[in-house]
Amino acid sequence: MATEAASSRVLDARRSGRSLRIVAGGNWLGASGGGGNTVQSADTLSLAHDRGIVEYVPGDLTLTARAGTPIAELIAAVKANDQWLPLDPWGGDSGTLGATLSTATAGPHSHAMGLPRDVALGLEFVSGTGEVIRAGGRVVKNVAGFDLTRLVIGAWGSLGVITEVTIRLRARPTALRSYLLGVDTGAATLNDLAVNLRALPFTPVASELVNAALARRLGVGDNASVIVRVAGNANSVNAQTAALRRLGRLSDAPGDVWRRLREMDHGAEATWRRSQLPSAFGDTWASLERGTKDLDQALMHGNPLRSVVRVAASGDTGELRRCVTHGVGTLAIEMFPPRDGPLVLQESTQRRKNAALERRLRDTFDPDRVLNPGIMGIDA
Amino acid sequence: MLVRHGELLAYSSDGLPGYTKVPSIAVFPGTREEVVAVVRELASHDVPFVPRGAGTGLSGGALADGMVLLGLNRLRRILSVDPVNQLAVVEPGVVNTVLTREVSKHGMHYAPDPSSQAACTIGGNVAENAGGPHCLKYGVTLNHVVAISAVLPDGEVYTFGNAAGENVGYDLVGAFVGSEGCFGVALDVTVRLQRNPQGVRTLLADFMSIDAAARAVSAIIAKGVLPAALEMMDAATIRAVEASIYAAGYPADAAAVLLIELDGFEAGLDEDVATVVALCTAAGARSVRVAKDEAERMKLWQGRKKAFGAMGRISPHLVVQDAVVPRTKLPAVLERIHEISQRHRVNVCNVFHAGDGNLHPNIGYDAHDADESARVHKAMREIMELCIDEGGSITGEHGVGMDKLAYMDRLFTAGTLRAMCDLRSVFDPKRRSNPGKVVPIHSCREWTAAPAARAAVAAQ
Repeated sequence: MATEAASSRVLDARRSGRSLRIVAGGNWLGASGGGGNTVQSADTLSLAHDRGIVEYVPGDLTLTARAGTPIAELIAAVKANDQWLPLDPWGGDSGTLGATLSTATAGPHSHAMGLPRDVALGLEFVSGTGEVIRAGGRVVKNVAGFDLTRLVIGAWGSLGVITEVTIRLRARPTALRSYLLGVDTGAATLNDLAVNLRALPFTPVASELVNAALARRLGVGDNASVIVRVAGNANSVNAQTAALRRLGRLSDAPGDVWRRLREMDHGAEATWRRSQLPSAFGDTWASLERGTKDLDQALMHGNPLRSVVRVAASGDTGELRRCVTHGVGTLAIEMFPPRDGPLVLQESTQRRKNAALERRLRDTFDPDRVLNPGIMGIDA
Repeated sequence: MLVRHGELLAYSSDGLPGYTKVPSIAVFPGTREEVVAVVRELASHDVPFVPRGAGTGLSGGALADGMVLLGLNRLRRILSVDPVNQLAVVEPGVVNTVLTREVSKHGMHYAPDPSSQAACTIGGNVAENAGGPHCLKYGVTLNHVVAISAVLPDGEVYTFGNAAGENVGYDLVGAFVGSEGCFGVALDVTVRLQRNPQGVRTLLADFMSIDAAARAVSAIIAKGVLPAALEMMDAATIRAVEASIYAAGYPADAAAVLLIELDGFEAGLDEDVATVVALCTAAGARSVRVAKDEAERMKLWQGRKKAFGAMGRISPHLVVQDAVVPRTKLPAVLERIHEISQRHRVNVCNVFHAGDGNLHPNIGYDAHDADESARVHKAMREIMELCIDEGGSITGEHGVGMDKLAYMDRLFTAGTLRAMCDLRSVFDPKRRSNPGKVVPIHSCREWTAAPAARAAVAAQ
């Protein structure tokens, strides 16, 4: 069985004092580093061949699959039953289920559909000591025992290699429509936009502000605009459309823009996410925009509902780096060129304190740093 | 601080009958600083303690057996409300509905709504990862907590999560929520506020068989309509409710009723109502009634929310149980529960979150009748084992506490239970906070804290 194979690879590596870089689709830890740090290991543990759906009962709206299953395969399977997979990883649907959970990557639908931590019901993982652990379960509500599922999601493999996942599904809405909403990208205007979108009497199923460079790549014009999607029954979708029209110029967008949007920044050397409170969404956007003004290929997009701005860039990112690490809010790191050294956002006392606790977690589940050593910035 | 046995008896049980444990001392700090000071004092003497909110828990989780009980219910300040960003920061002793009442002037509410919401505290909700009828659409406590300041059992204060968004690092909020008081004591909690829905429709569908009602549940869930709540009550529950002061006008001869709530954007609601009515009718509903006004809506909900009270009225004691099964297994599992209750001659009333597959088989009985108590416990054990065997869980929202400890071995592998113990040790290496709960002691590699700490209490 594939889980046992993964477990014995981890045990062997541990015994021989070696470490493992965990990969599947190769989108995250394939070539350069990830999670802001290089993984300093020679051997690769690939889950690419550990794929397939283990259990899918459409009436339960739950699905269990092996970690190496590409997201595209899962979308096809649930779509056949008029259902929706509430995962939309950055990097695109060639990415795997395991990597989506390990990185907790959350695309434009995540405000309405939930983050990976909200939609995962349970998972199986192999810890750094080779122990096979089955956390959570396959039912949609479950509070039995301590929550190992949440802990492993977003841990970039550093607490365990995810081998199997159970996800909750959604029924597919009867109507879906995508639009471009023209906006002025001044900081104050965008602050208001984020607040106004959240104040609507419905939640758009997806929304993403894209910068001009990204809009051109997607073929949706030459200016920054918000791509927005509404869902529901026919009456609801019509009324949602009318409400959006009151926020700005509205034009139709192709339905496949969401998938293409998630594939666009693949291969960028550096990818960062900054977030602040929704009322400061425009300030975050403006500060990162300043950092990218000399990088004409830098792609920027932001979710006004979650108030997260994501930037993907290659080349001389010195100025961008200064802007990314400046100011209040939070910083998450997806890809980062190792040559530039570690990156931190205003290291606070609290952050250092939590890092000590996180190191204890790492010591508990992977005491010998077998799994993705160097990742998460807590191994130094 | 309470030390006299008579006074401590008031804290010897929670919402679950059958367990009585008297604390050695009960301490009720009034401020955040006092909580930290008390926890540090306990740490310096290696004394175990049990945090407690309102004591409405249903798993025996807040019982302190000869230990220090740390009551948080005096910390009831709402520290800040930010309607623009839809956030509130509250102390752990704030009562669930008090928060909702406070933010209602902004057209908002706090979404998790356990049946005890008029008494239970946000701190207790965080400890148990509490749910409620409306979590079908809006999610459980975990989905609404963005940050927590907590004092860990060693006396150190941490802040987990960030209201501004995701940070580098592990999901410590995710680990802390639902840790049943074993990881530390929350000092303040930052929660999301939910905008009140523009429109609400409440429906009551009545069925001549439980099976037909269960099939209607599956049909609704599988369709593109996500109800805010989808609750089922069986004949025994309907009778208990209708005989009480909470009589909601449920059809007395029905085998089961579904209480269905649809909410959200007004424009699409009536179309969704028509879809749900059609699905219920197709599954065999005798009638589907849509509440005409707020008064009728409140009455329908009153029956559901007070169902436990109505059952409690007809028996001296009531076990409110909690288990989860995959939704497609509901008809078969309800059938088996009926068979189990007949065999053990106990009266099971089912009132539960059908949309989530979250069962609440409740048994009214007399806890002082040894024979009846034994039969109740046998029936409960069989029901729990049935739910595990059907691929479900032993608790959807009440927690493990003391009551479900015995089933943990059957639900999880030894390795998984060890991993849970290890996780607990990261937050509480000496396992002094709420010892003996959640994970069976024999699953842990070492267990030294409790006896030593008890000796320390005795020495003082």
